[in-house]
Amino acid sequence: MKLLRQSPNRWQYQLPANEAAILRGLVKKFPFTPVGPARISRHRDARTAEREELLAEALAAQREELKRLAADLLVEARWKESSRGHLLTLSGESREILLQILNDIRLGCWHALGEPESLAPPLTKKDLVFRHLMDLAGYFESNLLEPEDHPDQ
Amino acid sequence: MTIPRPDIGEDAKAADALAPTFYVICWNDPVNLMTYVTHVFMKLFGWEREQAQQHMLEVHEKGKSVLAREGAEKAEFYVHELQKYKLHATMEPAE
Repeated sequence: MKLLRQSPNRWQYQLPANEAAILRGLVKKFPFTPVGPARISRHRDARTAEREELLAEALAAQREELKRLAADLLVEARWKESSRGHLLTLSGESREILLQILNDIRLGCWHALGEPESLAPPLTKKDLVFRHLMDLAGYFESNLLEPEDHPDQ
Repeated sequence: MTIPRPDIGEDAKAADALAPTFYVICWNDPVNLMTYVTHVFMKLFGWEREQAQQHMLEVHEKGKSVLAREGAEKAEFYVHELQKYKLHATMEPAE
């Protein structure tokens, strides 16, 4: 995955066909994190329950919205075939959405692995699948963020 | 040029001073990428990269970083946004 062009609200990436297929496959897996209790504070007071209810509602609404936007990321018009693979064009907003979707996959895999503090070599075939998915999501996240990480390049 | 100041009455000022404030805290986790955390801080708080990286490193090395001190409503807003990005964030009473 390589950034070809960038303007304030337009990012164009080139991906070999196999990477494009993997990235689309990851987006299709959204949402991957389990819905858990919303925790807003380690301190409990009279308003905590109400605040946590609002947080849970906000997170649920965002999850639904991201599901819709994930489908939008997969529309063919975004993925133009070229002689060197696929060209993926994203607005600033859709790039942000893709980042959140990939991070959800990464975190979901980590939950599925038992939330380890450090990643030991996978012991089972199932763990191996989660580790691969987690690494793949991380790979694409890093590539999306790389131009920011090296702004002078 | 002088920017006109809003006319805030003494009662309102006193009420603001008494309103509880909260620390917005981001806690460490072993899974979010450091570049991702930096990106989220820049995006949500409008910080330059250097400031965002300082907070990210504080989270990574010390286990947490206080990102802001705000009234309840704004602290709640920041926690919502940070959690939407799947960062482990909470609001804790400042007093």
